[in-house]
Parts: sequence; C-alpha cells; structure tokens
Amino acid sequence: MIEIMNLTVVYPDGTKAVDDVSLTIRDGERVALVGANGAGKTSLLLALVGVLPLTSGTVSADGLELSKKTLSDIRRKVGMVFQNPDDQLFMPMIADDVAFGPRNYGLGEEETARRVDGALDMLGISHLKNRSSLKLSGGEKRMAAIATVLTMEPSALLFDEPTAFLDPKARRGLIGVLKKLGQSQVIATHDLTFAEEVCSRTILLKQGRIYADGDPKILFRDEKLMDDCGIEAIM
Amino acid sequence: MHMADALLSPAVGGAMYALGAAAVTYSAVKVKKDDLGEKKLPVMAVSGAFVFAAQMINFTIPGTGSSGHIGGGVLLAAMLGGAPALLTIAAVLIIQCLFFADGGLLALGANIFNIGVIPCLLAFPLIYKPILKRGFTFKRLTAASVITVVVGLQLGAFGVVLETLASGVTELPFGTFAVLMQPIHLAIGLIEGIITAAVLGFVYKMRPEIMESTVAGTPVGSQVSVKRVITVLAAATVIVGGALSLFASSNPDGLEWAIINTAGTAELEAADDIRQSAAQLQEKISFMPDYDYATAGEEGSSTGTTVAGIVGGAMTFVLAGVTGLLITLSKKKKGAAKA
Amino acid sequence: MANMRSKINEIYALEQLSGGDSAVHRRHPLVKLVSAFVYIVLVVSFGRTEFLRLAPFVFYPVVLMALSETPWRIVLGRMALALPFVIVAGASNIIFDRATAFTIGGIAVSFGTVSFFSILYRTFLCVTAVLLLVAVTPFAQLTDQLRRMHVPDVFVTLFEMIYRYIGVLLDEASTMYTAYMLRSTEHRGLQMAHMGSFVGQLLIRSYDRAERVYAAMKCRGYGGAARRGARRKLQPADYAYLALTCLPFILLRLVDAAAVFERLF
Repeated sequence: MIEIMNLTVVYPDGTKAVDDVSLTIRDGERVALVGANGAGKTSLLLALVGVLPLTSGTVSADGLELSKKTLSDIRRKVGMVFQNPDDQLFMPMIADDVAFGPRNYGLGEEETARRVDGALDMLGISHLKNRSSLKLSGGEKRMAAIATVLTMEPSALLFDEPTAFLDPKARRGLIGVLKKLGQSQVIATHDLTFAEEVCSRTILLKQGRIYADGDPKILFRDEKLMDDCGIEAIM
Repeated sequence: MHMADALLSPAVGGAMYALGAAAVTYSAVKVKKDDLGEKKLPVMAVSGAFVFAAQMINFTIPGTGSSGHIGGGVLLAAMLGGAPALLTIAAVLIIQCLFFADGGLLALGANIFNIGVIPCLLAFPLIYKPILKRGFTFKRLTAASVITVVVGLQLGAFGVVLETLASGVTELPFGTFAVLMQPIHLAIGLIEGIITAAVLGFVYKMRPEIMESTVAGTPVGSQVSVKRVITVLAAATVIVGGALSLFASSNPDGLEWAIINTAGTAELEAADDIRQSAAQLQEKISFMPDYDYATAGEEGSSTGTTVAGIVGGAMTFVLAGVTGLLITLSKKKKGAAKA
Repeated sequence: MANMRSKINEIYALEQLSGGDSAVHRRHPLVKLVSAFVYIVLVVSFGRTEFLRLAPFVFYPVVLMALSETPWRIVLGRMALALPFVIVAGASNIIFDRATAFTIGGIAVSFGTVSFFSILYRTFLCVTAVLLLVAVTPFAQLTDQLRRMHVPDVFVTLFEMIYRYIGVLLDEASTMYTAYMLRSTEHRGLQMAHMGSFVGQLLIRSYDRAERVYAAMKCRGYGGAARRGARRKLQPADYAYLALTCLPFILLRLVDAAAVFERLF
C-alpha cells in the first residue's frame, strides 16, 4: 500500500511540478496516471522513490515513511521502471543488469541467480539472459527493464510510459504481463486504451494537481473533463 | 595518434604501462577521496561514450577538403575535471584497444600517457585552469581551449616520437620524425581547439551549471597534486623501465642497426664493439647462436642460409595453416556427429 | 551514418563470439589475459629484422582461432584499422635502411624491407592476440578479473558503463547526423560552423541521459560499493592452457629454431 499525503514537489527553478497531492493506492490495485505533457506524472513517480526531494507532504509504502533513513528500504519496496529502457540497462549483458539490484542489496550469488532466473522466466525472456541490450528490440528491452526491478521483489511497481517504443504486438505482451503481476502498480501513460484495459482506476492530473479520480471507462469518455486536461477523450 | 604494439619494445611499453597505471590509480584515488565517484560516475561514463561517438563524426577542414575528428582529452577535463577525465579517457582507450584494434594491448600505457595524462593531468591544470581562473568570458574560454589543446597535442605527438625512437623499431631519424609529426598535429590541434571552444561555449550558454563546477573547483591544491603526480610517475617509470631493460638487453635489436646504418664511418668502430658484445651476449643466452649477425650485412655470403631460412619460414606458415584447417575440420565433423 | 551503425555491429559481433562454448572459451579469464600478454611481449621483444624467427609464432592465432571457432573475417577486418600508422612508420625503414640483408635470385633485399614486413607481421600477430582474447572472454568475466587484480573499482565500473553507452550514444549521434546530412547540400560531413552546436547538443543530451541513468541505478540500491560475481578457481585445464600457450613461444624466443634445424641438416 502506498500512501501520499499533501505531497508538493517544487523544482529549484521554482516550477511546481506536483501540487498538494493526496492519494492512497491499495495492495494489488492498478492505477493509471493520466495527464498532458508537463502535468507532473513523471515528477510524482520520481518523488515516490525519493529521486526528487519532497518539498512538503509525506509518502509511505507499507506503513514505512519515506525519509533519508528509509530511502534504501523504500526503493526495495517500490520498484521504478523508467520511460526509456536504455536508462535502466547499462551493463554488458542482460543477466548483469537484472542482477544489479539484488547484488546491491547484498543478497548472495545463489539467491541473486535464483531471482534473475525467476524474473526472466516470469516475463518469458529467459533466452535474452546472456545477450547484450544493444541489439534487443523495443519490446525485449522493455521486458528486460521490468525484470531488473522485479528481482528486488518489490510490493509496488511504478511505470513511466511503459508503452513507449513498443509495437502493437509488444504492447499486447506488456498488457498480459502487467495483468499477471500481483503488485500494486502506478502507471503513467498517454495510451488511454491501454490504461483502460490494464487499470481499474485512473488519476487525471492537471498542472500538478489531481483533477479527477475514478473509473477509466467513465473518465476517458467525458469529453469536457478530458478537454480541460488537454487530452483527447475516447469517442 | 594511437601507438601500435608492433612499434614498441617491451621495455618502453612496460615503462609507459607503469606510468599509465600510476596515473589511473592516482586519479581513481583522487576521485574517490573527493567523493565524486558515486555521483559523477554516470556522467563520466556518458562523457566517455560521448567522446567515442564524437570521434566518429568527421568534419571538413576548411580550405583543404580533407577531414579530421576530435580527440577529446581537454574537452573532458573541462567538463569533468582532470582526474575524472583521465579515468574516462583511459577506459575509452581500453575499449578501442580491445574491440577495435585501435592501439595495442602493450601500447596501452603509452596511449594513456600521450592522449590522457598529458592533456588531462598536465595541460589542463597548468594552462586551461589558470587562464580561466580570473573569470569566465567566451574570449578566455576560446583562448584557453585552443592553447591547451594545441600544447597537449604537441606534447602527445612528441611522446609518440620519443616512444617510437626509444623502442628502436623504426629507422626514422629523430629530426625527420619530429618534422613529420609536429606540424601535422599543430594543424589538427588548432582545429580541435576551436571545436573544443565552440562545444564548451555552447554548453556554457545552454547549461552553465555543468561547467562552472570544474572551472571553480579545486583552485589552490591543483599545483601541489600535479607535482606529486609527476614524482610518482617518474619513479614508476624508472623502476619498471630499468627492470625491463635488463630483461630486454639480451636482445640487441634496432639501436644496433641504427648505429651501423646511419652513423658515419668514424663511429663505426665503436658501434662494432657494441655489436660484438651484444652478439656475445646473444650467444651466451641462446644455446644456439642466432643466424650469422656479423656477415649478414655483406652481400651474398649468407645467401644459402637465407634461402633455407625463407623455405623454412614458408613451411612453418603452411604447417600452421594445415593445423588450423585440421582442427576446424575435426570440429565440424564432431558437430555433425552430434547433430 | 553507416560508419556509426557498423561500429555498433562491430562491438556486438565480438560480444556474440565471446558467448561461445569451446575449450578456449571455458578457460579462466586470468589465464587468457596472461597468455595474450606474454605472447605480445614475446613478439615485440624480437629485433626488427628477425622476421624468420617470428614465423612459428603464427601458430598461436591459427590454433586458437580454429579451436575457438573464431572467424578470420572479423579479425582481418579489424586489422585494417591498425594498419595506416604502422605502414607509415614502417615504410620509413625501407627509405632509411638500404643496407642489403641478402640477395635472392640476384635481387638485393634491404634490411629496411625486411623490417617493414616484420613490422606488418608483428602488427598482425599482436592485433589477432588481443581480438582473440576478447572474442573468447565474455566482457563480464574480463571486468570481474580486472577487479580481482585490484584495478580500482571506480575505474572498472566506469569501463563497463562506457562500453554499454557507446552503443546508445552512437545511435543517438548517428540519428542526429543523418538528419543533418539529409538537409545539407554538401555531402561531406559536418561544417565547422555547426560543429559547436552539433557536438554540444549531443553532449548535453548525454548529460541528461546520465542523470536518468543515475536515478535508475539509485532506484535499485546503487551505492558505489564493490560488486563481485562468484569466485572462480583455477582448474588444472587452466594451468594446462597457460603452459601450452606460453611455454612453446618462450622456448622459441630463447632458442633459434631455424638455426637448430640448420645444424641438424
């Protein structure tokens, strides 16, 4: 469970990226974060894992409040999958990238290997284990990036634009994977039909604030509401 | 300007290795001490990849119709600081050596010194920093970049000349080699300097915060550390170079022939002494003496030996080829049997 | 730019090979590293004109390439890169060293010519030895070995990350370059006037990327601490490999095999 209370994030240049957001994400819930470019989706996600400092408000995961002391534990509980897999995959071989997290947390080689194999198997990419990320397709890279986070066995996952760089088939595969994963998920996306299929709840963001919170099937068809947020509604 | 293995002797290569390793260790310690490692690592890594990529971009040299590319040492130093820049350049050189055969494994030390240590640890703190210390203007940035790159490249090219000559693999007289190398690298340096200035100017305009840190960083301590670097490097060179020379002296190679072939007759006698003592040493070490040194220079006298030698050499290659072929064939057979 | 794309493929080609499974691939990375190093030092320790004594050294690349099933095409292609500077430096020998080494069929062959070919031959031997090392040793094993040899961890991690990012940045650079070339009339390369903003743009993008990479690393518990794979012990086969690849050549360095044959016949 992730609890966000009155969260505000202000950049050094004065831009208010997240403005007084309060939100609770229950265990196993999949929530879509929708808003125009610059609405604060990525900033909100980055604040949840302490990459962006909180200006005010609190964030907690499974009852543990985010602070300097708990940073490392929070990041283990909440896994972040970045928009561009190239930001996440940097080792020569996929296996090393996927083992990066567990090794950093000092799990033994045996446990690390078990988790690596488990995550790759779960995502159906065991054959990529000893490949270099240089030559993977967009869809394969996306799966590998997800695997790098799954090996930390987090209780919640954050996704930033997971359908970016994917062709329709890979996008379909991703939908299957996200539905299969048991963790609670927060998914920032512009892809409304994707959000509708994967998530039972949608948060509409506008200029860093929560503009609406509800069932995607209803919200995405509310032309006036969507237009206010600068997004085209589903007809 | 990458040195190749085949142009170096083990002694020179080894000495330069010691220098390179000392410089890398020093920089790694400094980066760690300044606590830059964790925070700066991704920036260094991307900058290294950047230099690699930037070297692929050819630009046209105005008026000549030919093209060149940038080296990047000073650019990296200006962006990252001297020690991180050296580590970055060294890592790039290792990758070029291992994966692209650009500069050899033995020549790695020499290349790290010529292309890394000189611009990053010498030219940058001694020239670039003092010029910009009095305040940052585009004029000063341009002057600092051009002068630092030119001096760094001249010293680097001179390093190539000295290392090659000290190895005695080529026959080039010092003067000729220097006259060939230095002006070419002056032209390349001027262009690279201008590009470096342009790039830094652009970055300063768009993102001043990236650069201010290195310009302002560690102004006083730098002189002291440079002195220390030089001391450590010099000591390492002497020790390793000395040790390897002992090993290598069993091999009377280039230097001897250079003396015989390029010196005047007056010096020939002295050279003869060297040659003879070297030949004696050779005889002591090899339990069969080398093919006849003393008469090899005289026309005809060793023709028989040589023809036999050539035939023997050719047979060796054929034998090697057949061995390779047999292994490949037997592997294929095995593979087929398995399948 | 085709040039950059092909670079990416070049990196990838060796990486693919290193994943192979042969008697050579299975050896400990340390013995492969030491073997390559010893071999190169031996090769360059010969005098300039000792072309013939170097002949048997060709067995090292030939046998290892055959055993590891490394295709010659890749190695020879890479070889071309190393040649230009070597040819220039070596050609000077032909000009400056005209003393006759021997005559064959009435044609005098100078020491310069002999040493020129000797330099080319040595370049070939050294380059193949290095490329072979990389073609039979997975990158992760190589860096793991470097860490064990007490190469500073900052440096090894940097090395790993640069290796990875070259591909990503070459891709970025080549896309920018293609877009530039499609809009320029002279198809010769970037003009000097645009160099600053083009390269600067690439640099700033690189920095932004670096920041995101760092964030992604931190999110997975990165703290700059040393990480190591499982320790691997040297097996008898590893010692055998070391002995088989080093001893014959050390012997050939100390003993002039050609002269021995001459004495015998």
